[in-house]
Amino acid sequence: MANGTADIAAPILQLSNLSMTFESAHVTVVALQDIGIRIGRGEFVTVVGPSGCGKSTLFNILAGLAEPDAGAEIRYHGETKRALELLGQVAFMPQRDLLLPWRRVVDNAILPLQVEGMPRAAALKRAEPLFGEFGLSGFERHYPQQLSGGMRQRVALMRTFLFERDLTLLDEPFGALDALTRSLMQRWLLEVWQKHQRTILFITHDVEEAIFLGDRVLVMTARPGRIKLVLEVPLARPRPSSMLTSPEFIALKRQVLAAIEEESVKSFQQTAAD
Amino acid sequence: MRGHVYSVAGPLGVFALWELVVRAFGVPVYVLPAPSAIAKKVVADSALMLDGLAMTLMEATVGYAVGATLALAIAIAFILWPRLERVGLPALVALNSVPVVAFAPVALLWFGSGPGSKIALVTIAVGFAVFVNAHQGLRSVDESAANLLRSFGAGPLRQMAMLRIPAALPAIMNGLRVAVVRSMIVAIVAEMLAAFKGLGATIFESTQQIDFLRAWAAIAVASAASMAWYGVVNWIDRRYVFWR
Ligand SMILES: Nc1ncnc2c1ncn2[C@@H]1O[C@H](COP(=O)(O)OP(=O)(O)O)[C@@H](O)[C@H]1O
Ligand SMILES: [Mg+2]
Repeated sequence: MANGTADIAAPILQLSNLSMTFESAHVTVVALQDIGIRIGRGEFVTVVGPSGCGKSTLFNILAGLAEPDAGAEIRYHGETKRALELLGQVAFMPQRDLLLPWRRVVDNAILPLQVEGMPRAAALKRAEPLFGEFGLSGFERHYPQQLSGGMRQRVALMRTFLFERDLTLLDEPFGALDALTRSLMQRWLLEVWQKHQRTILFITHDVEEAIFLGDRVLVMTARPGRIKLVLEVPLARPRPSSMLTSPEFIALKRQVLAAIEEESVKSFQQTAAD
Repeated sequence: MRGHVYSVAGPLGVFALWELVVRAFGVPVYVLPAPSAIAKKVVADSALMLDGLAMTLMEATVGYAVGATLALAIAIAFILWPRLERVGLPALVALNSVPVVAFAPVALLWFGSGPGSKIALVTIAVGFAVFVNAHQGLRSVDESAANLLRSFGAGPLRQMAMLRIPAALPAIMNGLRVAVVRSMIVAIVAEMLAAFKGLGATIFESTQQIDFLRAWAAIAVASAASMAWYGVVNWIDRRYVFWR
């Protein structure tokens, strides 16, 4: 792998046959269909797909918050698990930052440590050296309401990183940020990832972001969500932002867009025929 | 700052108008005494007024504390054990549809004419006001935030302590605010029905003795106490539930 540490031969997570159907009184929605994934240790894998294709649903399952349809196989560290058994085993950052308005920045960041039963003083000591790295120095005692969108997102990321687990799930963490802040955050995230050697699964609906960040890009189709394409990103790291305009990058982008487009046309025709 | 000016100027204007009307039309005291006359009476009868106030405030605050504590405990228990809620909630809703005053004869029978019966009635009145708000607040917590805590491995108790209770504080404070006025009203009304002491008893006895000015003085003391207490709860709310 480009990172030099990823090891796909001993995957940390393997999914096969994973489907998820939502049934309510009137409608049945197949959110995910036959998902198969292998994530190697230390890998940065991005998942890209149109909104509504089931990306957040996939993360909810991996965080242990929802059980997929019967027949799915989830292997975490080689052991077969039910989704519920993953509760507390995976560091999950949901799409909204969900910072608690009554807790200061520090206290929001250490929330998972306190949930684990660590006393506040010890948790603060653990968190302290990270504030600089997460660009939050001087804001420790602010309340979330006083921060910009980008800073709130960094607090949420810090909270996720302090919950040290072998797999980290990030659901569109930069989706609501302006383009400039977003590109700064992307490069910053890569630095943090390389330093902390985490395994990251990262959701986005932005094709450029998916390629720029990932060792591999999983392209999902519109509903029902399936893995349409798995694309290796052979671009060297560290990746400068000038890479975004390189011919290699553009070729990769074209490949992803073509896969998505083919699907969109299909689903568009399907809807039109209904 | 502007808000403060209005909240002081408003009542002052009303009092001035009241004073003016009473003087201009020579309204007799048994119909409506002037504010200045009421104020003078409060001072003149201050020993009696303080005595009554002490009793009424004791009943109201003890009932308030017991009622609010019970209400919070029950609301939390209902969220933690949904089965308990399924059994208990319909019963509470049915009880809540009966006006508190309807329980007064029973309370007097059980707890006598002393402060016990008043405390019991205040407890019921405050309890429902706080329960309804607290229960609603604890229930309507953002599901995704609860899920985030679950993903960190938090069980129901940790979710309750770290998320549900703080998130419900604005609603709980609303209940506590409404309950202030309720507790004073219920204590005074119950005292008017039967009591040895208290502002309600003073109001009742004064009207019996055709001393309407004294009745008005007791009413003035009761509403001043109510407002002061309300102000304290409001201050606590602003100070500690700053994020709402
Ligand atoms: N709890 C649910 N009940 C019913 N349908 C749901 C539920 N959660 C998600 N869905 C549906 O599943 C699909 C995928 O949703 P989601 O995973 O949020 O998509 P994405 O994150 O890719 O935008 C959507 O069509 C959504 O309406
Ligand atoms: Mg989503």
